[in-house]
Amino acid sequence: MTAEIGQAAIALSVLSALWAIGFLCVGLRLRNARAVQSGRNAVAATFFLTCISTGALIYGFVTDDFSMRYVVEVSSAAQPLLYKITALWGRMSGSLLFWLWLLTLSGVLVVWQSRKHTRDNLADYALVPIAIVQLFFILLVTGITDGVYNPLVRFPGGQVAPDGQGMNPLLQTPSMAFHPPTLYIGWISMTVPFGFAVGALASGHVGSNWILRSRRWMLFSWIILTIGITLGGNWAYRELGWGGYWAWDPVENASFMPWLLGTAYLHSVMIQEKRHMFKLWNVLLITLAFQFTLLGTFITRSGIITSVHSFAQSNVGWYFLGFILASTAGVIALIVYRRERLKSENRLESLLSRESAFVLNNWLFVGLTLIILWGTLWPILSEAINGEKASVPEAFFNQVVIIPGLLLLFLTGAGPIISWKKLTPNNFRRMFVSPLGIGVIAGALTWGFLAWRGNPMPIYSVLCSFAAVFVLAAIFSEFYRGAKLRAKRQEGSFFDGLTRLVMRNKRRYGGYIVHIGIVILYIGIMGSKGYFLLESDGLKLGESMQVGTFNLTMKDWFQERHANYARAGVVFDVEKNGRPLGEMKPARHYYEKTGQGETDTIESAIRHFGANDLYIALGDLPPNIDNGGIVNVQVYHNPLINVVWLGVAVMVLGGLVAIAEKHQPKPEE
Amino acid sequence: MKRKRVKIIAASALLLIAMAFLVIAGIQSTSVRHFTPAGLVAAADSLNNQRVQVDGLILEGSSTWDAANFELTFAVRAREGNETVNVLYVKRLKPDNFVDGGSVFVEGRYDAAQNLIVATKLMTKCASKYEAADSATPGLVTERGKK
Repeated sequence: MTAEIGQAAIALSVLSALWAIGFLCVGLRLRNARAVQSGRNAVAATFFLTCISTGALIYGFVTDDFSMRYVVEVSSAAQPLLYKITALWGRMSGSLLFWLWLLTLSGVLVVWQSRKHTRDNLADYALVPIAIVQLFFILLVTGITDGVYNPLVRFPGGQVAPDGQGMNPLLQTPSMAFHPPTLYIGWISMTVPFGFAVGALASGHVGSNWILRSRRWMLFSWIILTIGITLGGNWAYRELGWGGYWAWDPVENASFMPWLLGTAYLHSVMIQEKRHMFKLWNVLLITLAFQFTLLGTFITRSGIITSVHSFAQSNVGWYFLGFILASTAGVIALIVYRRERLKSENRLESLLSRESAFVLNNWLFVGLTLIILWGTLWPILSEAINGEKASVPEAFFNQVVIIPGLLLLFLTGAGPIISWKKLTPNNFRRMFVSPLGIGVIAGALTWGFLAWRGNPMPIYSVLCSFAAVFVLAAIFSEFYRGAKLRAKRQEGSFFDGLTRLVMRNKRRYGGYIVHIGIVILYIGIMGSKGYFLLESDGLKLGESMQVGTFNLTMKDWFQERHANYARAGVVFDVEKNGRPLGEMKPARHYYEKTGQGETDTIESAIRHFGANDLYIALGDLPPNIDNGGIVNVQVYHNPLINVVWLGVAVMVLGGLVAIAEKHQPKPEE
Repeated sequence: MKRKRVKIIAASALLLIAMAFLVIAGIQSTSVRHFTPAGLVAAADSLNNQRVQVDGLILEGSSTWDAANFELTFAVRAREGNETVNVLYVKRLKPDNFVDGGSVFVEGRYDAAQNLIVATKLMTKCASKYEAADSATPGLVTERGKK
């Protein structure tokens, strides 16, 4: 019965979404407050209805209702409760419902946030595009296209499957349970700033109010996307046995591109607020960022790109493309209609100014996005251009992002300390000279260190150290100067001054903390991507291998039985320069019942040595292991990889500081 | 004012050109042509010693693992038709989900005389029964190419 109630709720939500769109439009046009209120109520009703249908599906999972097709496909009676619930987004049909639920939740939050804004109706305008996006997802969830079906349908003719097929064992790990929803939340919350941008265009109030209203939404989205992307990389690193965390796969790129555009937007809106420039650009940027959250689904679902992520191909990708094109056309029409009001009130005055630093930042972020998009779509583009299907490997991305990436790193420090309007000689002397000097020393030291260790000396590492230390010096001097001034004024300690400084201007100093996180992240990437070691070997019991300064001896093997898998592995004694460091136990898991016979997964052993990791991935154990059978292993030494995670943690911390700043927007215009 | 605008436009143009140059140079030095087994066999002579990608299925019963030399050999067969291409994969672990008849993606240098790809990158996909998880899930990257 619950499944039928859920289906009815989906059908009704089509009506409530239409109601919301219709009544908001008519009410805003005719200035009829009651109609507007009715539209706002309909947005809340859509959320309520979606809660019912999502709840009905979860109820189906929890009660093992194997008369429901979706439950059978992603769950099984033996599946632990956590993974029964995460099965909600285990396949496409359910994940679209989950997406819709989050989207309607955002809608109702906008309604709630704007309950007291009686003086302007920007939020009501913003709700219209949000409700249109909701309607698109509702229609998909009803199953109008091949490849997606209503996740609440039962098998025809009252059939009931004896048990479900269960979820892929690779996905039954906690980080896989949280990685997809985090990304969804990050993507979906970008719909709100997009809604506000469109609402601002429609209402004609294109000043900074819409940006202030949606500022925390965008920051929230940015923080969550940062976490979500990192969770994915971390999962891949720990679970997949290839010793890396990022491979420029199309799906990874699809998650990264909206992040890049969102980051660009977070910067460019500051100039609109301060200098009333870039109004048009900001609308375009947030539209682009929003469209890229949908583009990812198109890329992965339409089958136009061969990805290592195997998704069932279906028409749903083309629906996304259609929606992207149609909604972009709508935004462009509104822009043309409002072109007079979107003119900048100020112009760039100098190439060396904070405004220009922001422009360069935006150019680089958007440029990087387009480069990554070009590489991702190269299989289609090459066919169109040369008539040959081709694709680009990881090396392409690593090669092309490095120079823009280093420029961005430099800007991370230069942007906050360069003066507005025009860099004056005084500003340069006061702010730039010492950080630049310290940076140059750091670059030289890096150069010397690499030469001394006998590493090849790629210029990029030297530049990266130079820029990283320059940025740290620049940002820390900002903190130092500000804190000292406050301490003096308040007659308190330096630490008091520092706390006050940050608390009084959370947005600015939160941003600086993010910049520090970025520097840490770059250092981690430089070490782990630039200086890892990989040794592959075949060992008999008792034999040893050398990886850098580590010596590993394979002394034993083992086998264990667990509830739904068997674990087999070997035991290594690890020594560094002759000093024993204990054991590492890489293994493989063998899952017997997964709906497709036996599968096994690599369970790497990872040991942290400060910032560095030793990482062992294990091949199959031969049956004659006790009699000289050979075991194949791959051992990685990943320097500074833990600095990558630390950098992201600092970025998230900075984001949280920045989002804590409340801003009460004043009614304008 | 005019001169400043010209300067700004020139700087933007320069940046754009530099980025376009990066992309074009990157594509030219790394782009790898993509084939089905049939397409590769048909164009074999012109592709000798070139880097290629092939996408197909693991020929049933063709894979052997030589632990002593740390070598995987197998053949990729076309999804439709019966052309095959041999693959040699050295000093790398067999990726997860490497099963007979499974979907596989190979990249490496092609030796036309032996109809053999010396692979630097080998990726498998889940058997077709699974859809993997969802659009956000970096699903099944099971092997990274040359690190």
